[in-house]
Amino acid sequence: MTRVVLALTRRSLRGSLRRPQFLAPLVIFPMLFLAVNVGGLTETTSLEGFPAVRGFLDFQLAGALTQSLLISGVTTGIASALEIEGGFFDRLVASPIPRVAIVLGRLVATGLLAGVQVLFFLGLGLLFGAEIVGGVPGVLVVLAIGVLAGIGFGAIGQAIALRARNASTVQGIFPLVLVVLFVSSAFFPRALLSAPADSIARFNPLSYLADGLRDPIISTVSLAPVLEGFAAAAGIAAVAMALSVLALRGRLREA
Amino acid sequence: MATIDVRGLEREYKSGLKAVRGIDLAVAPGEVYGFLGPNGAGKTTTVRMLVTLLRPTGGSATVAGFDVSTEPAQVRKRIGVALQEAALDLLMTGRELMELQATLHGLAARSVRGRADDLIGRVGLSQAADRRVATYSGGMRRRLDLAMALVHEPEVLFLDEPTTGLDPTSRATLWDEVRRLRADGTTVFLTTQYLEEADQLADRVGIIADGLIVAEGTPAALKAEIGLPHLDVTFMECPDLGHARDLLLAFGKLRPAPDGVDVSVAVAAGAAEIAPVVRVLDEAGFTVAALELVEPSLDDVFAEKTGRHLEGAAQPAATPA
Amino acid sequence: MSRMQLAVVAALVRRALNEITRVPGAAIPGVLAPTIFVVGLTSVFGQVDRLAGFGEVDFRTFVVPVGFLQAAGFTGAATGVNLARDIERGWFDRLLLCPAPRLTVLTGVVASAGLRCLLPVAFLFAVALATGVPFPGVDGLLVALLLVMGLASTLACFAVTLALRFRTQQAAPLMQMGAFAGVLFTPAYAPEELLAGWLEAIATVNPVTHVLAGVRQGFVGEVTWGDTWPAGLALAGMAVAFGAFAARGLRRYSS
Repeated sequence: MTRVVLALTRRSLRGSLRRPQFLAPLVIFPMLFLAVNVGGLTETTSLEGFPAVRGFLDFQLAGALTQSLLISGVTTGIASALEIEGGFFDRLVASPIPRVAIVLGRLVATGLLAGVQVLFFLGLGLLFGAEIVGGVPGVLVVLAIGVLAGIGFGAIGQAIALRARNASTVQGIFPLVLVVLFVSSAFFPRALLSAPADSIARFNPLSYLADGLRDPIISTVSLAPVLEGFAAAAGIAAVAMALSVLALRGRLREA
Repeated sequence: MATIDVRGLEREYKSGLKAVRGIDLAVAPGEVYGFLGPNGAGKTTTVRMLVTLLRPTGGSATVAGFDVSTEPAQVRKRIGVALQEAALDLLMTGRELMELQATLHGLAARSVRGRADDLIGRVGLSQAADRRVATYSGGMRRRLDLAMALVHEPEVLFLDEPTTGLDPTSRATLWDEVRRLRADGTTVFLTTQYLEEADQLADRVGIIADGLIVAEGTPAALKAEIGLPHLDVTFMECPDLGHARDLLLAFGKLRPAPDGVDVSVAVAAGAAEIAPVVRVLDEAGFTVAALELVEPSLDDVFAEKTGRHLEGAAQPAATPA
Repeated sequence: MSRMQLAVVAALVRRALNEITRVPGAAIPGVLAPTIFVVGLTSVFGQVDRLAGFGEVDFRTFVVPVGFLQAAGFTGAATGVNLARDIERGWFDRLLLCPAPRLTVLTGVVASAGLRCLLPVAFLFAVALATGVPFPGVDGLLVALLLVMGLASTLACFAVTLALRFRTQQAAPLMQMGAFAGVLFTPAYAPEELLAGWLEAIATVNPVTHVLAGVRQGFVGEVTWGDTWPAGLALAGMAVAFGAFAARGLRRYSS
């Protein structure tokens, strides 16, 4: 089982690396957004109610990272859908490997990629003058939450792909994903949001995820936000993987 | 003067690939010229140069008296083009597309309405004219494409593989239309990878392989170059083959018999020889299991010139007896 | 331009508008996007206007003109994507086979963008007025609409250049991000004096900054000649430059 998962993981990773048009959006969209936000809103850290941070870039890194992980989830979905369209998926299903391994193979790859995304954005922040106040333990916490969340988003993408079976539908959810991210505290402190984002953000798991990713960057690791972040990431991952497995089962029944 | 006059035409892509390596050809007014070759031989590249969509990198070509490189707008005015993909806007109706095509060619949509209706009828789309193209089958799209190519009454019509992948009905409609155009005096340049199509429609055929024309002439002349038709005879039980050969020798030269065939004999008169052959064999007590008249095909010409077969033409044209 | 050429341009514009009138639903995301962008931006970053530098202007009013420019950007990019699709499907060959000068064909393709962008702009404007953004005055609205239509056509030239170069819809992210960056690397979120130094430097040399100022003037104050002529000049300069690129792209397309 492990060997099968690893083989499928390797295959997925190789697939992503050989398709730069899939990898580029993970980096370029969040970076562009980050640049525009930081450049335009740099003075907002002086607003009353803004948490104590060294700079707006430090604050925004978690937002960019969350965005990148979400896009990676959509990309995972598109890759799965292409696999279904192309017929490779049926070949996998027809082979004597456990069903769960099929789901897990791609998700482990997405998780590994998430680790790279975390390190990339933290590195980018350091390069442009941000500081990771939480130090090495902080980085490890961000890595752990980020990988878990990456797997969760990947599972959502995969579940949608298994239901929709075509890449353009999965592609179509992309703007929706960005809207959900927007009405969270990923890009601005929750205390400073206006209606309707303020009330939605309170129930949006992405708020807790982004705040959990942010805490170790802008302060020493504190228990509450980090635990909330873990809980949000784990919740997303658990629900999404359950959906993914259910969708796979539904697909098998029809087939 | 030739309607299409091509001299030393070359096309080299930036990658260094030479798709067309210096071809000469001349198509007379009113002639249907079949341009035959396998995929990747340079057919489409040649057509794209002749219709001004691609600039030649060497040589020259004139169409309807105008140079494709220096007077492309004059060429475009005088040609109709139906390219391989039958590129149509799926959101528009057949009639709207006809009118758009007229506008693109500088004609007022109103002034061509009668002709557009006539063309739509000729390609059998009258019922579908006001439906969106998205609802058309592949064959209907090709037929509409052909009608669009004709709306401005071009002097020269270019058809790039007009029937590739088509159902037999659509193919027959297109063939009929090409024959009709020939009768009207339109010059037609037709590329195809189907031997039968070139054989049926073309006055003259040019065979292209690897960017060069390897043979040119009327279908009949090209086939004659290769040889006579022959009869392949197979008997019911193991007979006295020597005796059979002696009998058949009276009709023509014997050839090496292919696998599964007992005797093969070249017959100058073709189909007219079938009955006498059967009669002679029958009288001598032979029971014929199968008898095939095999015409030399353009594929034989192609194989003779290039050592390869055309795609989809591995089977020689056969007439079962 | 002769009557025949005008007829060709009109026919191509009509055809481009088919996508809106004949595909129910297809136009909706494009129409809604700028409005969602403005509403989201306002509810997330709305408190920014408490910063000195905004004066009396509230953030919503400040970003509605950015939404107008976004509409131009989306429409311009979509024009390029549609052309790439037409190239992929062979339809563009049909246009090139018509005897009208090829610049006429280009004009038809690009002119449609100027008209199409009016739909999302109108929707955004209605929502803005309904949510309390002051009417910019007839002069302010007219200047804004002319500039936005011009910008849409100009950005369409940019996207068309990329489409002619790459000849595939896979170049879509390049077109979208180019338009996105052009519009947002300006004083989009805050007045110039509040921008980070590097963004202020970029915004100063970005001609879209002048266009934005021209569109924004009626919303945040009086329409003045001093804000109008730089906008017109900057737009004309961009139009000439991108128009020349597109024309060159068209010339190279067949060679």
